[in-house]
Amino acid sequence: MRLIRYLRVLGIFVRASISAQLEYRVNFAVNLFGSLLLAGGTLLGITILYSDGTRLGGWSYRESIVVVGLFTLVQGSIGAFLYPNLNKIGEEVRQGTMDFNLLKPVDAQFLISSRNINVFRLTDALVGAGLVIWAASGLENASGTGALLGLCLIVTALTIVYAVWFMLSTTAFWFVKVGNVTELFNGFFRAGAFPVSALPGWVRLMFTFLIPVAFVTTVPAEAIIGRWNVGSVFGSGVAAVLLLGVSRWFWTYAISKYTSASS
Amino acid sequence: MSDTDHSTTPVIQVRDLEKVYTVHEKEPGLRGSLASFVRRRKTLVRAVDRISFEIDAGQMVGFLGPNGAGKTTALKMLAGLLHPTDGFVRVGGHIPKERRTAFLKNITLVMGQKQQLLWDLPALDSFLVNQAIYEIPNDEYRATMREFSEILELEGILKKQVRKLSLGERMKCELAAALLHRPRVLFLDEPTIGLDVNMQVRIREFIAEYNRRFNATVILTSHYMADVTALCKRIIVIDKGHIVFDGDLSALVEEAAPGKTVRLELSENVPDERLRFYGKLISREGLFADVLVPRNETSRLAARMLAELPVADVTIEDPPIEGVIGTLFSGTNKQPVDAVPVGAEQAAR
Repeated sequence: MRLIRYLRVLGIFVRASISAQLEYRVNFAVNLFGSLLLAGGTLLGITILYSDGTRLGGWSYRESIVVVGLFTLVQGSIGAFLYPNLNKIGEEVRQGTMDFNLLKPVDAQFLISSRNINVFRLTDALVGAGLVIWAASGLENASGTGALLGLCLIVTALTIVYAVWFMLSTTAFWFVKVGNVTELFNGFFRAGAFPVSALPGWVRLMFTFLIPVAFVTTVPAEAIIGRWNVGSVFGSGVAAVLLLGVSRWFWTYAISKYTSASS
Repeated sequence: MSDTDHSTTPVIQVRDLEKVYTVHEKEPGLRGSLASFVRRRKTLVRAVDRISFEIDAGQMVGFLGPNGAGKTTALKMLAGLLHPTDGFVRVGGHIPKERRTAFLKNITLVMGQKQQLLWDLPALDSFLVNQAIYEIPNDEYRATMREFSEILELEGILKKQVRKLSLGERMKCELAAALLHRPRVLFLDEPTIGLDVNMQVRIREFIAEYNRRFNATVILTSHYMADVTALCKRIIVIDKGHIVFDGDLSALVEEAAPGKTVRLELSENVPDERLRFYGKLISREGLFADVLVPRNETSRLAARMLAELPVADVTIEDPPIEGVIGTLFSGTNKQPVDAVPVGAEQAAR
């Protein structure tokens, strides 16, 4: 079975990644501290914004915390699963070791997207999940259905992030040095720390359709706090499938133009 | 590989294979870089220019040529990494660029300058990854590992982290990782580069042994002539994207170096003019002299030298193969290409 085989390979990658990182124990403590600092900083900002008891664009203090928590959770997941893989694509093209990936009898996109896992960045995800649970537990409209829907939407959110970032990284096949792509991406992604629907109309449109940041944090947050609407949930799913398809097509096109590195 | 026709059809078939790159050129210096950043000057480089050849199962063939001749480009098209601009390629009945699973499970690419082993982990962990990827059954994996450990003497290094291995140890593990799935077609790009002589010999022996046991087809590029002369009977010389020679190594020597060197140790000094009478004086240092004579007159001229000159000792040698290849390129008035097309392209970016 193809699926079972891919899961086995994935399992081997996870184990190899973890054993490689267990070499560096201090790193774990440092990362946990970093995660708490990051969440604390954003939390402080939100608290100051809401200190006079107002609501921003219809979002209450606790509701905004859900967004912050989701942002931290998604960021942690990106750091754990996406960044260690996607950030290496350019480097591997430049050094020519991409050749080895392309010659393996498994899907090369799967291979380069799943090989590495940074377990330490999962601390971010844990802190984020903690924030979401804490904030949502104090909200009347939060429900089990909403939470489940929110979870699904986090998965589609990560799919969207993956597809966009993967396409940007794949441009390395032409431009070779694409380290700045990561910076560009982080810049846009930072916008996800705030509820997109609290922003002015034109910015909201841009963040929904041009750069789908809204789908990353705001839409799952809306589901969790019981304010979801069919349109954005459906939109999130469609965006994820569509972008994944486009990234797949783009990848196939890119490897047909691959020039490899000389030895 | 398609098992039905391997006895009759050559494993590797190449006809009119061509690869053209678009290369950006850049003037040296910051000014040139700025100009190139704004507007790229593009040129087309024909890295491989309509080459044709066939290789039978079990053959070991050496690709020779100066840097940038197109060896690696040709090799990577055969492995399916690069899509040819034009031409026909079949490897074991497959079209390489389609990279089908059946094709990929039967080939391997080893690059001496690049490594696929996981850096922070022992080589064994990388082997397990490859075992899963290539779906190697446990008993076959164990058998292969036993064989490889024995021939390559891997004991004691498999459990050390790769980053702590010496270059030679790492290369042995790289080879083992690349051959774990017992491929029938091997593409070896400079597999012994940077290794000391002993290790080069060890690697060569392993490749020869693997070829014998599995009747594997091997294409080898190397800068070390010893690799090629030890392993390959057949040589394909590529220069500027063309095949300039395809045949037996001995025929190559015959064609490119129609002479032999008579090394004389004289017992007393003799003027250079007297030596030039017999052939071309290549070198002269006191009582030692090398004279190049036509191949078919070697014995006659050597006998005359022995009779007519005060000779203390004489040996007759084929010219070193490095020299032969050198003559082949310079003699046909072909300048080695300076820049590797792909490298140039990427440096310009």
